Amino acid sequence: MASISLRHLRKHYAAQTVLHDLSLEIRNGEFVALVGPSGCGKSTLLRMVAGLEAVDEGEILLGTQRLNEVAPRERNIAMVFQNYALYPHMSVAENLGFALRLQGVRPAERKLRVDRVAHILNLQELLARRPAQLSGGQRQRVAMGRAIVREPQAFLFDEPLSNLDAKLRVQMRTEIKALHQRLGTTTLYVTHDQIEAMTMADRIVVLRDGRIEQVGTPLELYDRPRNAFVAGFIGAPAMNLLAARAHEGGRVLTDDGLQLPLPAGLRLAPGHAVWLGVRPEHLQVTSADQGLRAEVQVLEPTGAETQIAARLGGQNVIAVSRERIDLRPGSALSLRPLAHQLHVFDQASGARLN
Amino acid sequence: MHAEAALYEPPFPPEQPRRRSWLRRHARETAALVLLAVLLFPFFWMVQLALRPADDAFEPALLFMPTLDAFRALWQDQFARAFGNSLLTSTLSTALSLLIGVPAAYVLTRWRFRARRHVALWILCTRMAPPIAFTIPFFLALRWSGLLDTVWGLTLIYLTFNLAIVIWLMQSFFAAIPAALEEAAWMDGCGIWSAFWHVTLPLTLPGLVSTAVLCFIFSWSDFFFALILTRTQAITAPVAIVNFLQYDGWEWTKIAAAGTLVMLPVVAFTLLVRKYLVRGLTAGGVKD
Repeated sequence: MASISLRHLRKHYAAQTVLHDLSLEIRNGEFVALVGPSGCGKSTLLRMVAGLEAVDEGEILLGTQRLNEVAPRERNIAMVFQNYALYPHMSVAENLGFALRLQGVRPAERKLRVDRVAHILNLQELLARRPAQLSGGQRQRVAMGRAIVREPQAFLFDEPLSNLDAKLRVQMRTEIKALHQRLGTTTLYVTHDQIEAMTMADRIVVLRDGRIEQVGTPLELYDRPRNAFVAGFIGAPAMNLLAARAHEGGRVLTDDGLQLPLPAGLRLAPGHAVWLGVRPEHLQVTSADQGLRAEVQVLEPTGAETQIAARLGGQNVIAVSRERIDLRPGSALSLRPLAHQLHVFDQASGARLN
Repeated sequence: MHAEAALYEPPFPPEQPRRRSWLRRHARETAALVLLAVLLFPFFWMVQLALRPADDAFEPALLFMPTLDAFRALWQDQFARAFGNSLLTSTLSTALSLLIGVPAAYVLTRWRFRARRHVALWILCTRMAPPIAFTIPFFLALRWSGLLDTVWGLTLIYLTFNLAIVIWLMQSFFAAIPAALEEAAWMDGCGIWSAFWHVTLPLTLPGLVSTAVLCFIFSWSDFFFALILTRTQAITAPVAIVNFLQYDGWEWTKIAAAGTLVMLPVVAFTLLVRKYLVRGLTAGGVKD
């Protein structure tokens, strides 16, 4: 196991810059998730750490070893690919043992280590099968087994769950997390699914257009997003962002005339254009005299909670209530944002103001 | 009257109990058999001619006493040597063109350098002109290098043609292998060529086999270059057959026997690798 340091990385494809001066420290044994919309450079970054893409500027360190000029095979890093990339002409056992065979590990020891990994991942029954005879989840497990069996310094995951169905994805999420807790290997995990990142990672790195927007623990990112992009990206359903202007007396006026309180202690020049962010669970359903009038558009009960898509002034908002709500589309309801849970972002720069 | 009668006739013949004749029920099979008979007729005719006694080669009688005289005569007539030359040149040129062409095709598929398309196209150019266009340059080149009428000289000439086939066919097979498999192999500890050896090549094996068969058949069946570039030492089987057409008479049964022998390796080869041939020639046609 080792830490991974990325220092002032840059990457260009022809005239286009994919990564801009990116620096990140991944501690020994840490599970770090890279999230961001497609094209943000997260897979490129992962492939640079793997050695599958060249580093244009900056350096990558594994522990104290500089990796820039080291071939992928000498990096002692294992990678799980999005499409699994299992060798179709080899059995599961051969797939698992391939790296060991290349290392010159004796057949007896190889079998021992393959069996051990098969036991961890519950693959014992499948060792003689070819990848084509496996289901998606089984293939996924073999791909992980192939990474584990080498006992590498670090794991890289490139959207490993995106080809699985929803139920299996949740199950594999738990398995990967349990595996990390058991092995404690430094892990870099790329995903576009922020729920995966939230549930699995020790720390999350949010990328946009080749720049880091924020690094932090899942709850730091959720509770105190550094800018409007992170606020909108982390959390499902996404944070409501209302366009508003600062007003006299510690209040803001939304563009369609609703008056809302500002978080305590925040002083803004009148007229300052802001995004007012409020998470769906902080938009409470109240009695008519206490809140803002909204019109129900869609109700989505999930059993445990109810999602309410409503029209507040001229803007669409989503509220989540733990209560069972019986309302028809088109009917009125009152919503009250919790003042101490409000997020305020500058409209021009997107930066957090409170 | 006729027109009127036609008007009142129902547009479809009335429904009748379905009792089609044997011929109609087996129309497809019969047609296939007839076609097969037409296609195979020259082959069978040649084989039976090879087995006839030389005296009644063209007797109309269908029944005759089969004899291996023609084959025996062939062996005493230096044909064995020509046959050996054929085997040697075809095998050598196939092996060499695979040895050079397969890595070349791999590089052309995986390495995106600037002149890639041009290089690939110019390789194909060797197959664009009719063979006669190259005859005189080849003849002069071989004479100059002292390779005229040698097995190596002929192998070299076949190599120039087979390389184009190998490179173009194998490119499409390599392109069908996902690059992620090779990347996974690199991460597992392979270098570029060991990933090629352990992962890419085994996956393209059906393609490789069908390519090899094609190369072998092209070299084996060549008559033109063998006729011009060999005299006595490196003469191949197809050319040797022509030598049975002599001034003082044509030895038909020997010609047929030699023809049968020349066909044998090709038929055997094709039957042996039929499974691969079908898979190989269709692989890459559809995206998995």
